[in-house]
Formats: sequence, structure tokens, C-alpha cells
Amino acid sequence: MKRTRHINLERMRKAASGRFSARPLALGVAAAALMGCAPKEEVKVVSSVDDCVSSTELDEQQCEAAYKKALAEAERTGPKFRSERRCESEFDSCQQAGGSMWMPLMTGFMVASMLDNRDRHSGYYNPVYRYSRPHSNYYNRLMTADGEVVGRYGKSSYTVDRSSTRPKPTVSRTVSRGGFGSVASAKSSWGGGRSGGWGG
Amino acid sequence: MLRIPIGERPGWKARAREFGFGFHTMYGEPYWDESAYYQFSLAEVERDIEDPTAEIHQMCLEVVARVVADDELMRRFCIPESHWDFVRTSWRNGDPSLYSRLDLAYSGKGPAKLYENNADTPTSLYETGFWQWLWLQDNVDRRALPLQADQFNSLQEKLVNRFRDLQFLTPGRAMHFACCKDTEEDRGTVQYLEDCAREAELDCHFVYVEDIGRDAEGRFTDLEDRVITWMFKLYPWEFMFREEYGDYLGSNNIRWLEPPWKAILSNKALLPMLWQMFPNHPNLLPAFFEDELDRAGEHEALVKKPIFAREGANISIVRGGDSQPLSDGPYGEEGFVYQALHALPQFGRNHTLIGSWLVDDEAAGMSLREDDSMITQDLSRYLPHAIV
Repeated sequence: MKRTRHINLERMRKAASGRFSARPLALGVAAAALMGCAPKEEVKVVSSVDDCVSSTELDEQQCEAAYKKALAEAERTGPKFRSERRCESEFDSCQQAGGSMWMPLMTGFMVASMLDNRDRHSGYYNPVYRYSRPHSNYYNRLMTADGEVVGRYGKSSYTVDRSSTRPKPTVSRTVSRGGFGSVASAKSSWGGGRSGGWGG
Repeated sequence: MLRIPIGERPGWKARAREFGFGFHTMYGEPYWDESAYYQFSLAEVERDIEDPTAEIHQMCLEVVARVVADDELMRRFCIPESHWDFVRTSWRNGDPSLYSRLDLAYSGKGPAKLYENNADTPTSLYETGFWQWLWLQDNVDRRALPLQADQFNSLQEKLVNRFRDLQFLTPGRAMHFACCKDTEEDRGTVQYLEDCAREAELDCHFVYVEDIGRDAEGRFTDLEDRVITWMFKLYPWEFMFREEYGDYLGSNNIRWLEPPWKAILSNKALLPMLWQMFPNHPNLLPAFFEDELDRAGEHEALVKKPIFAREGANISIVRGGDSQPLSDGPYGEEGFVYQALHALPQFGRNHTLIGSWLVDDEAAGMSLREDDSMITQDLSRYLPHAIV
């Protein structure tokens, strides 16, 4: 056979437009939902070292290390805001994040609950945040640093896409935008192109 | 190779909506045309398209190796000197590539001839990898094509597998996908690649090329201020080299798809270099740099192509001292190359061009475009094919 053997048509189907309409203001809620059945994983969300010791199979030393790792990840990957007020419009409490930026305090961190794979506990402990903008569809939802929804706040364990447990991109402070795209826009003013694209 | 009329699938436009294929009609003209298909034999596909495609690609890689090692050639390929290190390092590091498309003239008789190599920003990927695959499946299901009908098209399967390999080679990074604003076709192409990457369990983000930012350390960021560390861009290297942020390329820690060395392949200077290194190869057309034209005397007519151009823009035919423009466009300031005229085959009134796809260095499928004129351009139609 010279062609692709099988394509899962369910996963190629596109939902009706408007699927991005209800996203939180600053957090880009990840669009992974559009593929439906991504691989899942069971995680505990703990709010402190004590909580970690009592709700997971990690001991105190491991929980201390996990907490420190999660804090460092929060520093690196957490959403950054230009003012405290903007940060607090989406999250309950915020702190200075270096420079003149603000970021939310982490609500807790994720610990994979599967113990069959030792590597998971030496891996990543992603911080999570409780979204608290009133009247938002995401109100009271727990999210990872990049806005992927973990679930409703207050449960002790969650089933999440495996991608939620992987390290998130560093979040920095953008000082300028628009440094790419000028040649394309100069050429397109000439007006050719089936759809103005730059592919060939 | 035959062009065979076939009934359209009833309700295919609703099916296109269902699968998010939004650009089947553009400017009121059909782009996707399923009132006919091209029929190939397995021998035609394997002997005349698949094998030569893999071989041409290897020859192209030899050109890259030659060019990166030679300042004079880097100049001929119009790579700005400030980016020589960037391009050379990516080649020497063996930065992995994703895909490309060779444009071939082939009639069913004799060898396919290489027109050009779209190695950096090829489009019509979704139509090829998914939509024409679905066309075949639907037509077999409704018995409009025989049960054993096949297609030279393992593009989607190979793309997903390639993304898995790339994730393995690039652990711990999320992929940012990018294209320009206001182009449904490019966004569709990139969306398709995102779908393939998600199938391979990559973490994916999207940012428009114009929205890319930078932080104080010169790292590129998306609209949520996430630092970009791995990027697929459907945007030509030759543009990026010359733009404001071009200065930061190479100093920030980003893995690129396509890798920077593809700037040498997507460049029409590739064509005379191939002819110099592999003269009289059956799949090549004679091609010349401007200062080699004294050697082109035996060719009655030459096609003059700009070094950088998209989709058949700024092409003219030169006969003796006489130049006849065939198409208009904004390109040509970097100079031109000349390729012996070799007309596209005609099927009825249609001039037909084959796109032969590669994923990494493996031939992966085929697409067909038709035009009423002898160069395929913006308004050419896409037709499916079958192996029967």
C-alpha cells in the first residue's frame, strides 16, 4: 500500500468555529482540547509540603524538594503581568516577579500519583493556579502555568492530559514585537497571490 | 498516466466544512477540483516519481554541502554574509528537517524533470496528506473506484512519525507553529501540521509571524510572553534574514523547522548548481547562472526565473535576445537563473504539474496541479490521483 494506512477521522474533524471565544484574558488556554482523546494521567494537587506528605506517597524530604522545584518552575513559567492590578483581576493574590512584572502565587503543585514509574517522582512538579476572575467560564478552575485547565478547584486528585505534567515554556518579558513580517507585507502590497500566502 | 473524469462526491462541500477545509474555492474559482483524477500505474509511480524524488533530494544535499563550504557560492545564493555562520552551523550540526516538495514535469513517458525544489515553505500539504486521501477512501467506499485502488500518499503517516522522531531528538521543548496573518491557506497548512504534531504527542503553541516578540536577552516570545525554543515557521528564511529580528537569529537558543540550511535548497540558484554537479542527469533540466549563458547557446528557449520567488512569479521566456514575460510579480532584485524550456505535459487543455513530497529524506506522496496556461500559478487547480 502506497498510502497512509489509517487516519482517525474523529480526530481530524474540526469543531464549529468559536471554540476559542471564552478564553481568559491573559492566559492562552491551550487548544489541545480540539484533538479530543489525548493520553491522560492521574495527578494529586497539593497545596503545601504538609499536604504533600499526607496525600501522596512522597516522604517529607521528597515533598520539600518537590515544593522547591515547583516554586522554581512557577518563577520560570508562571504568567507575568505588567501590573499588580491586572494580575489580581485574574488571580487572588500576586507577587512581584522580578523587574516590574507581577505573577500569581501558586495555589499548589501537581504530583503524579502513579508510583509504578519511579522517574515520575524525580521529574517535574508543575505549579497550578486557581483562576478567579468573576463571571469567567474558567472561574475557580485550576490551571497550569500556560493556561491548560486541570479541573475544578478543591479536589485532591485530577485526571489530566499528559501534556499538563510536562515542563512548560519559560515566560519572559517581551520588550518589542513585530520584528518579523515586513518583507512579506512589502511584497503583498503588490497584490498577487491566490490567498496572499507565503508558502509555495 | 491518464486524466479520467469522475463524478464528484455528493455533498463533498459539507464534508470539507466538517474537516475544516476552508479554501477549496478561492476568489470564486475552484481550487480543489474532483471532476476528474489522474490515474497512474504502480510502475509509473515507483520508477518515475518515487525513486527519482529520493535521488534528486540526495543530489540537493550534496549541493548544500558544497555551498556551505564556499564563500563565493554563499554569495551566489544571496545568503547575507551576516547569516553565513547561522546557515553553516545548522548544516554542520545536522539540524533535522521536516518536509519538502519537488515540482516535477512528467507526462507518463520518459523521465520526470525537476522544475524546482520547495524545501523551505511548501504548501498544499493538507490537500495532499489528508483531503485527497479522504477523496480516495470515499470513492472506494461508494464503489466509484475499484477496491484495490491506491494512492501515492503516505504523507500524514510519515509526518506523524517524523514529529515523534523530532520530539525524541529535541526533548523537553514545546513547538511553536507560525505563519503570516490574513492567509487562510497558510493557516490551514500550519493547522494541519499542528494536528500531526499533536497526534505525535508534542506540546504545540501557535503565534503569527508578525506577533513574534523578543525579550531583553534577545529571546523570541509569543503573545503570552512564552519564550520560543522550537519553531516551525511557514515563512521564508530569505525574508527573515533581511528583517529587523534577523539580527537575533543564531544568538538565541531555538531549534528551527525548516532548519536554516534549507535556505540553500529553496533557492533557484540550486538549479544551475545541480546541473554543474550532475550534468545530463535524466531528471534535471539544463540550467545556468546569468554569467554562464554563453554555454546555453544550444538551447532554443530558456525560462528566466528569479533567485527568490514564490509560485511562478516573475517568470519570462528568453529566445535568442528576446525576452517575453509570462508572469508578473514583486521578485527579481537578487538576480535570475535560466533553465532550458521544457513545457508541462498537456491533458486536454490542462497543463499539469506534479508535486512530489518528501518527509525528511523519504519520498512520501504526490500532488497534482492543473493550469490553463503553461506555468502553474496562483489560480491553478488541485486534482486528486489514484493508482489503479
